[in-house]
Amino acid sequence: MEGRVITRATGRAAGPTTGFALLPRSAGARRFPAFLAGVGALVIALAALHIGLGTVRIVPGEVAAALLGRAADPVHRQIVWELRLPRTLIALVAGAMLGLAGALLQAITRNPLASPSLTGVSAGGVLAVVAWLSFAPAGLAAAGVLPLLALAGGLTTITLVYALSWQGGSDPTRLALSGILVGAICSAITLILLVLDAQRIGSVLRWIIGSVNGRVWVHWEILWPWALAALPLGLLSAGAANALGLGDATAAGLGQRPERARAALLFVAALLTAGAVAVVGAIGFIGLIGPHLARRLVGDDARRAFPLSAVVAAAILLAADVVAQALTLEFPFGDATRRAGLPVGALTALLGAPFFLYLMLREER
Amino acid sequence: MSTIGRNGRDGTTLAALRAAEVRVGYGERAVLDGLELDIAPGTVTAVVGPNGSGKSTLLKTLARLLRPDAGAVFLDGAEIASLPTAAVARRLAVLPQGPTAPGGLTVGELVEQGRYPHAGPLRMLRMQDHEAIRTALALTDMTTYAARPLDGLSGGERQRAWIALALAQDTPTLLLDEPTTFLDIGHQLEVLDLIRRLNRERGLTIVLVLHDLNQAARYAERLVVLDRGRVVADGAPQDVLTTALLAEVFGVRARILADPESGAPLCLPYAVVGRD
Repeated sequence: MEGRVITRATGRAAGPTTGFALLPRSAGARRFPAFLAGVGALVIALAALHIGLGTVRIVPGEVAAALLGRAADPVHRQIVWELRLPRTLIALVAGAMLGLAGALLQAITRNPLASPSLTGVSAGGVLAVVAWLSFAPAGLAAAGVLPLLALAGGLTTITLVYALSWQGGSDPTRLALSGILVGAICSAITLILLVLDAQRIGSVLRWIIGSVNGRVWVHWEILWPWALAALPLGLLSAGAANALGLGDATAAGLGQRPERARAALLFVAALLTAGAVAVVGAIGFIGLIGPHLARRLVGDDARRAFPLSAVVAAAILLAADVVAQALTLEFPFGDATRRAGLPVGALTALLGAPFFLYLMLREER
Repeated sequence: MSTIGRNGRDGTTLAALRAAEVRVGYGERAVLDGLELDIAPGTVTAVVGPNGSGKSTLLKTLARLLRPDAGAVFLDGAEIASLPTAAVARRLAVLPQGPTAPGGLTVGELVEQGRYPHAGPLRMLRMQDHEAIRTALALTDMTTYAARPLDGLSGGERQRAWIALALAQDTPTLLLDEPTTFLDIGHQLEVLDLIRRLNRERGLTIVLVLHDLNQAARYAERLVVLDRGRVVADGAPQDVLTTALLAEVFGVRARILADPESGAPLCLPYAVVGRD
């Protein structure tokens, strides 16, 4: 036993080591760069297509020319720069934020069914907007106020959800459950307000369904600071999410404070969700399906799953809106009818769910 | 077996871990009550006792996963509650009972988490981190499994992966809560042999909670028997495992033989006497 003090663990291999070598990497780790680049390229292609779609259709070549300021038609240049580019950027960034929020929430709750709508943040944001539209004096409903209200509503909700789930400590399951309950209550109140004040349904509906229609630079101005703050925060929390994913006891054994980490990650997810909902409304499903697809491609390690979730969700939102814009329909709008794209939120689940189901069934076989 | 330890300045043995008058309770009920325990460096100690005797609670308290209501735990002489949590994690690794991880995580990714207290989150792994991970995988015979996802492993392999995670923390002290639960007998021995090897070859101080008294007697040099939150017996297996103790603490009548393989005491319970 005399050797025991000398040979205490030093981190050196028991046998002679033959220099420094990396471990064999997992399939997910090897694929990650290719998938990130591939989905990134898909996002760019979809963005080019997306800019061209709308009431006035512009072919991708002309879109590129307009972006470079060399479009043949000055109207096209104006449409692309004033209307379409902000809309596409907003769809892309909001999609990424919702995807990353979903990935964070699935990691925090250790529940693959978690999504931004599950935490009540989306519902809380929508309720704040609807309540404002119903009760605020007319004329105050400026476009700039609503997103800030959605943010305030979303962050208030998450605080409430966290407080309700606290019983001498937080718990992933209780957190998910109280998120669903608070979200359901917010949605119910929203519906009651709508029923009481049916004229406003038109202006409120797009918040509830979620849409990027009519989103221009004013809205981008609201979105980008949140994205700039919250997206890097979310990506940087991947290491903490990995440790937390091993369970509270293991995480604490590794030197993490699980309660603190969970609260911090939940707050980041709420920031991401609230920022996105504030501008595009409660677009459902992409925060659920994006992270799922990403993990399927590169595995459960959050350092890969988080960035890919963001990019995949951005691609899904863009793709869904490309379809929505292609299906431009005549809408009854007050007394007149107006041509407009479908709200994308109406399509994300409709297109996403069958695809998701297909993936699940294929996995079973 | 004598306890060989580093000597404190006053000539007394400085314990790797020490619990001093620890009381832990869930509400009114005290699970641990005025518990005293010293763990000498470089020793293997098995904590045994009937269900609900406070074994897991003791291990969690030693690992600062539970904060005692009264008393304190000292790690290398410093009160554990006053140390930064990452500093504790660099000196003490703990493997909780029945740990879970996302099934798509690979063995390598799991073991890499052991470097969490050494490198900050998201900081790139440095050369010593890679080395610690490789060593942990080699010690547990998991090197060839590094790229395999956890949900494709057998129970024994998965448990070795979790032990590798704790080893990658590269701590002088290792606490394990029932590391052999849910494993078949072959895998149980494999894990226990590994634990013994870690102690003998690398000098790790090991405290483990075990259910199987015979395994505890064979693999640990010291048994700590808990009953109702108190240490009722403490010492070398052959001194601790007596028919009287088995009747009093576990409520069984048993014959005690010497294990023909190791010489360790071997108990064969044959009747329940019941406990008050």
